Amino acid sequence: MIRIQGVSKKFKIYATPADRLKEKILRRPCHHEYAALSDISFEVGPGETLGIIGENGAGKSTLLKILSGILLPDTGSVEVTGKITGLLELGTGFNPELTGLQNIFMNGTFLGMTHEEIEAKKDTIIGFAELGDFINEPIKTYSSGMLMRLGFAIAIHADPECFLVDEALSVGDAYFQQKCMRKIQEFKESGGSIIFVSHDMNAVKVLCDNAIMLEKGEIIIGGYPKEVTDYYLNYIVKKMNQDDGVCKTRITQNQRNKTTTSDLIHDAIKLVDIQILTDDGREIGHCISEDTITIKQIYSTKIYLEEPHFGFFIRNRFGQVIFESNTYCMSIKTMPVPANSTVTVFFTIMVPLIPGEYSISLGISNKGIKGTRGDFKEYLGIFNDVKNISILKNDNSIQYGGIFNMNPTVNFMVNE
Amino acid sequence: MSLKQQLPLLWELAKRDLWERYSGSSLGALWSIIYPLVAIFIYLVIFANIMGAKLPGSSNVYSYGIYLIAGVIPWTAFASTVTRASTVYLDKKNIISKIPVDLNCFPLYIVMSESMIFAITVAIFFVFLFVTGYTFTPLVLFIPLIFAIQQLFAYALGSILGIFVVFVRDLKEAVNVIFQFWFWLTPIVYVAEILPEFAKPLTEINPGYWFIGGYQQILSYQAMPNFGALAFLLLVTVALMFCKIKFMRMMERDLRDCI
Repeated sequence: MIRIQGVSKKFKIYATPADRLKEKILRRPCHHEYAALSDISFEVGPGETLGIIGENGAGKSTLLKILSGILLPDTGSVEVTGKITGLLELGTGFNPELTGLQNIFMNGTFLGMTHEEIEAKKDTIIGFAELGDFINEPIKTYSSGMLMRLGFAIAIHADPECFLVDEALSVGDAYFQQKCMRKIQEFKESGGSIIFVSHDMNAVKVLCDNAIMLEKGEIIIGGYPKEVTDYYLNYIVKKMNQDDGVCKTRITQNQRNKTTTSDLIHDAIKLVDIQILTDDGREIGHCISEDTITIKQIYSTKIYLEEPHFGFFIRNRFGQVIFESNTYCMSIKTMPVPANSTVTVFFTIMVPLIPGEYSISLGISNKGIKGTRGDFKEYLGIFNDVKNISILKNDNSIQYGGIFNMNPTVNFMVNE
Repeated sequence: MSLKQQLPLLWELAKRDLWERYSGSSLGALWSIIYPLVAIFIYLVIFANIMGAKLPGSSNVYSYGIYLIAGVIPWTAFASTVTRASTVYLDKKNIISKIPVDLNCFPLYIVMSESMIFAITVAIFFVFLFVTGYTFTPLVLFIPLIFAIQQLFAYALGSILGIFVVFVRDLKEAVNVIFQFWFWLTPIVYVAEILPEFAKPLTEINPGYWFIGGYQQILSYQAMPNFGALAFLLLVTVALMFCKIKFMRMMERDLRDCI
């Protein structure tokens, strides 16, 4: 379990290191302060995973360093049960001159293992890292991916109760990342607490039970991963908006299932209505897999839109985006929309999705940027999860697993 | 973490330290025997047989060599411990900034590794002494005691300097310079008696001589070490240790930020 209460951390920035001494002797401040973290509190219980997201420099790494005990907070308390290990940056305290095996012993000892414990686990660690003969080569010959393999293998086998994962994991190749994810899942099921720092919103949504977003050292939103990642994505979109200042993020509380959604809204644009329709124009809340449906949306605008573009995305119950596109990405020329008018858009799609609950979100923007894959000069609105749809099993279809039906065909050839 | 839990870590760090010193060389750790071997050989054989240097009032050809080695070996251990401990936080920043470790471990492992080298060197020295027909007295049993007090003192001093050096990097060089002076201010190469009258009180207030004098008494004069001076050194060490603990408590956060 990890519990932190009101943790704040300021870095003192001095012109030269000697100023630090001058300050102590003269008792006159010679520095300016930089608040890396202010008043952070959260709790991660056994078997829980907390995701931490935020831009570079938001305070994520400082927070991890404080949790692991490398840095000490100015105020607040940090409670961690058992051992806390993790994968913080690359080459966590490895000695480049020593071989992989020697570093296992060195690093293991740093993580509080005795020689006998390491001796007993040595083979498991080597087996997990899969470095082959490189294990007997000095670490300085390793690639960053190999360092990460070794670092992760030692950290997870050091019997921690709490585990920290940061962006370093993304250095690994796809095979090893998957292997790490499985191991992390295993660790979680055995009652470990995990803190997961990532820029991969889908990974956060899939792995984490809760998430927080840091900005300038403060928690600006915390809650279910989907809510927090939506907010983060809106935040990024808003930042990319060249015409900034007009959009704002609105958080609405859904009373029914106590979740919040955060939307990007523009004062002049309103989503008047959204409907899901069948072929013959009936409004529906569910459909059968592989049916064709139409998403009808009506926007009203108070301003003139020179080159509006409309998009939608479909997400599954984990909040993972299954499909997204927009008129710009579909290379569709749109007509200008005059001020004080409404515009109705119909997207017709076929849904070959595995049965389950899905949500539909909409977006509207103005003026695509040439040469990009769907970046716009103005983002006018993102409306998250405005409509839910249940997709039911299609009895005429094949049985399959995964996300969607790829409609396989098969041929045989038997040679004797 | 208690000391007992940290023992495997300290042991591993000290072992690595000895190993790393000569890593990459084919003779490896053997060098830690070759160096003292050569030094002792030079002091003992060259000074005695070639230069014919003797201690005042002694007829033994090896007397000066023994006196010199009795001072140089512990001094080397002391000086290396303090100077290396004073830079250990900077040297090990790649560990301190990545892994949570008790900061006190670092000067402590230096004490351990330097003590091991001392033990090896003394063993070689004793073999030489035995070969030259030196008669050992039970007084040599006091040597570990003197050495323990000396290294405790070195630990406290080195740790305090180590904290300072992180903030004032120039101090690193200053420590080396001070140790050069300190070596020549301490009667190691010369005997205290040859000092002019005005300089003699200097040896009284020189903590280095409080323990170096002890080894010389035992090995050269086969006399009791000055227990009064040693007791006083212990007292100073305890006081320094308190300062160190207090100081570390005050500065640990800044130190970790600064590294």
